[in-house]
Amino acid sequence: MNRRNFIKNTTLFSIGGILIPPAILGACRKDTLFEDIEYSGKVVIIGAGAAGLYAGYILKSKGIDFTILEATSTHGGRMGKLNEFADYPIDTGAQWLHGKNNILGDLIKSKNIPKTQDQSELSYWFNNQIVDSLPKDPFIFEANNLPDISFKEYAAQQGFGSEYEGIIEAIAGDQGAAAANLSAYWNSKDEENWVSGDDDYKFENSFFEVIDKNIAQSILGNITYNCPIKSIDYSSDKIVITNLNNDLFEADKVIVTVPISILKLNEIEFIPQLPVQKTAAFEKFGMGAGMKVFLKFDAKFYEDVLYGGTICGAYVDDTVGKKTSDNILLAFVMGDQAASLSELNSDSAITNALLAELDLIYDGAASNSFISSSVHDYTSKPFIKGAYGYSTVNMGDARKVAAQPINDKLFFAGEAMNINGNHQTVHGAIESGYKAVIDILNLVKK
Amino acid sequence: MKLSFLIVLVILLLKTSHAQEFSMHLAYENCYSKQLDKAIQTYNFSRPFLPNKQPLLTNGFNASSSFLFNSSVNRKQGIHISYSLFKSYVENEKLINSFNLNVLSLGYILHYEYKGKLTGWYSDCIISVKTSGLSRNVNEEKHEYNDDKTYAYGIGGDLSVKLGYYLHLKKSTYLSPFIGIAYTPYLYAPNNEAIINQTKGLTSENWTWILSPQVGLSFHLKNE
Repeated sequence: MNRRNFIKNTTLFSIGGILIPPAILGACRKDTLFEDIEYSGKVVIIGAGAAGLYAGYILKSKGIDFTILEATSTHGGRMGKLNEFADYPIDTGAQWLHGKNNILGDLIKSKNIPKTQDQSELSYWFNNQIVDSLPKDPFIFEANNLPDISFKEYAAQQGFGSEYEGIIEAIAGDQGAAAANLSAYWNSKDEENWVSGDDDYKFENSFFEVIDKNIAQSILGNITYNCPIKSIDYSSDKIVITNLNNDLFEADKVIVTVPISILKLNEIEFIPQLPVQKTAAFEKFGMGAGMKVFLKFDAKFYEDVLYGGTICGAYVDDTVGKKTSDNILLAFVMGDQAASLSELNSDSAITNALLAELDLIYDGAASNSFISSSVHDYTSKPFIKGAYGYSTVNMGDARKVAAQPINDKLFFAGEAMNINGNHQTVHGAIESGYKAVIDILNLVKK
Repeated sequence: MKLSFLIVLVILLLKTSHAQEFSMHLAYENCYSKQLDKAIQTYNFSRPFLPNKQPLLTNGFNASSSFLFNSSVNRKQGIHISYSLFKSYVENEKLINSFNLNVLSLGYILHYEYKGKLTGWYSDCIISVKTSGLSRNVNEEKHEYNDDKTYAYGIGGDLSVKLGYYLHLKKSTYLSPFIGIAYTPYLYAPNNEAIINQTKGLTSENWTWILSPQVGLSFHLKNE
C-alpha cells in the first residue's frame, strides 16, 4: 500500500469507525427531556403560587392539558404587590432574590430585568443602643456538626445571653421561624446544598411582577380563581377534586402546591387518607407566623437594617434598590414575634406596637414622622397561615418523605417540598414545580 | 524558529532521559455521558423562556503527549498526559451561555508496535487518573455559583485505547493518524448540576461515566 492509498484508507476507516457511531448516538440524544412526549391526560394543580404557576408554565410548554385551581382571587401565593402605598410597587410577599445562581437568575438575565444587589449595612439594637458590631458574632449557625437542638438553645450553649435574644430571633426569623423551634442541625444540613450564592438582590419594580409578567401571564387562561379545595379523591383511576362549593374537577394527575401549614392542618381531605409516614412528615415541618408591615415616614431616621428589636426582630429600609423619594421602613416580623402581633387583631394596634418600639430606639422620631402603614399578616391569610416551612428539631428526612409522590397520582410541590436546600425561596418553589412535572412525565414515558 | 527549538529541546530530553519516543497528539473528541446529557436536558426542559436550546456537551478537542521508554523489541511503556475541552454554547437574545468541560488525565501508557504484515501499525493502552472542571460562562463572563466556586471539579479513573499507523517523515520523525476511545467508568463530580442546573440533587447523580471516541493526528519523535 502506498502512502496516498494508506492515508485514503485510514481516513475512511477513521470516519467509519469513530465518527459514525457517535453521529448515530448523537442523533439519538435529544437536547431536552421528553422532547417528543405526548400525554393526553389532564393535570390539575392546586395553588397558583410560584410552584403551581411554574408547573403550569412547563406543562404548557409541553402542550399538556392542565388547570390551576387557586383558592383566592389572585395568583402569586406568598408573592404580592401593592401599588398605592408608595411611589414604587411594594412587594407585600417575597421580595429578595437570594443569590443569582438559580433558575430565576437565568430568567432575569434573559429578559434583562433590572435588579440591584442589596448591600445594606447591618446594625444591631443591643443593650439599648444601636451598634454596628457586637462583642460576639451571632452568626454561628452555618457550621458543620451542630447539635440537633434549637437555635435558642444552641445560642445559650455558646454563651449568648438574653441581651442577644432579639438578634438571635432576627436570624431565625430569616428562616421564618422562632429561635426556639428552628433546628440548628437540620437547618445547617439544608444549607449544605445551597448553591445559589450569598448575595441578595432586589428588583427595580417588584418580584411579583417578574413572576407575573414572565410566567403567570402566559397561563392566565388556565387558572380558576376563588376555588378553595375541600377534598381530593384519588381512590379510582380518575382523581376527583371537590371545592368548597362542591364543584367537581377530574384529573389524571394532581400537583398539590398548597403551603405546608394547610397540609399540616388537614384542611384538604385526601381520599383515601395519606399514608401515616406522609402525614407524620408534614407534622415535623415548622411553619411559623409571618408578617410584613410597611411604615411610611416623612424622613429617614432609621438604619438600613436593624436587628434586635423585641417587638420586631428586623427593621429594613424597603427603598434600597428602588427609584423612589418615599421613606418606607419594613418591619419584617417572624415567628413568635409575628404571632404576638397577629393576636392584636387590628392593623392600627400592630402599627402602634411597632411605632412604640421604634420610638424607644430612635427617641420618638418614629411617631413624629409617621405617615401611614400597610400590614400584611400571612398568618391570618386563610389559605397560607404562616411564613414558610422550616426544619424543626428531629426533622430527619421528613422533607424528602413529604415531597414524594403518592400512588403515581399525587405530586407535591411548593417551597417546603424543595429537597435541594432551596426551600423558603421563590426559586426553590419554582424548582419543586418543574420537578413535579418531570416526575409525572417520567411515569407517562414508562 | 520556535518549533525547531522545541524539537531540539525534546530530542535532548529524549537523549538525556533515555526515552525512546516522544509524541504529541491532536484529536477531535466526542463526549458521551448520560448524566451530563440529563443535566443539560433538564436545563433546557426547565427553561422554556430560552428559545434556543443549549446543545449537549458533545464536541471537543483533545491534546495529549506521551513519553515512551523501551521495555522490549515491540513494546514500550511510559507516561501519558492528556487534556480535553468540550464546549456547549448557545446564544439567546440577552443570555449567551456556555458550559465548558475541561478534562485532564495523567497515566501509564503501554505502546505496542506490530511487526510482519502489520508493520507500521501500533496500539496504545492507557490507564489514567482523570480530573475534570466544569465551568459556565454567561454573556462571555465567568459565572460564579457561590462566590469563589466557579468550577465543579471531578475525579475518577479512565481506560483508553488507540490504534494508529506510523508515516515516516524524515530522520526520526513520524506522523500518525489514529483513532481511539476512552472510557471513564466513574468520575465523581458532585457539583456538575450546580453549574448546569444551578441546583443540587434535583435529577442528576453526583457522578458520571464518560465514553469518548476520538480521531486525530499525532507527531512522533523517535530516539533511533
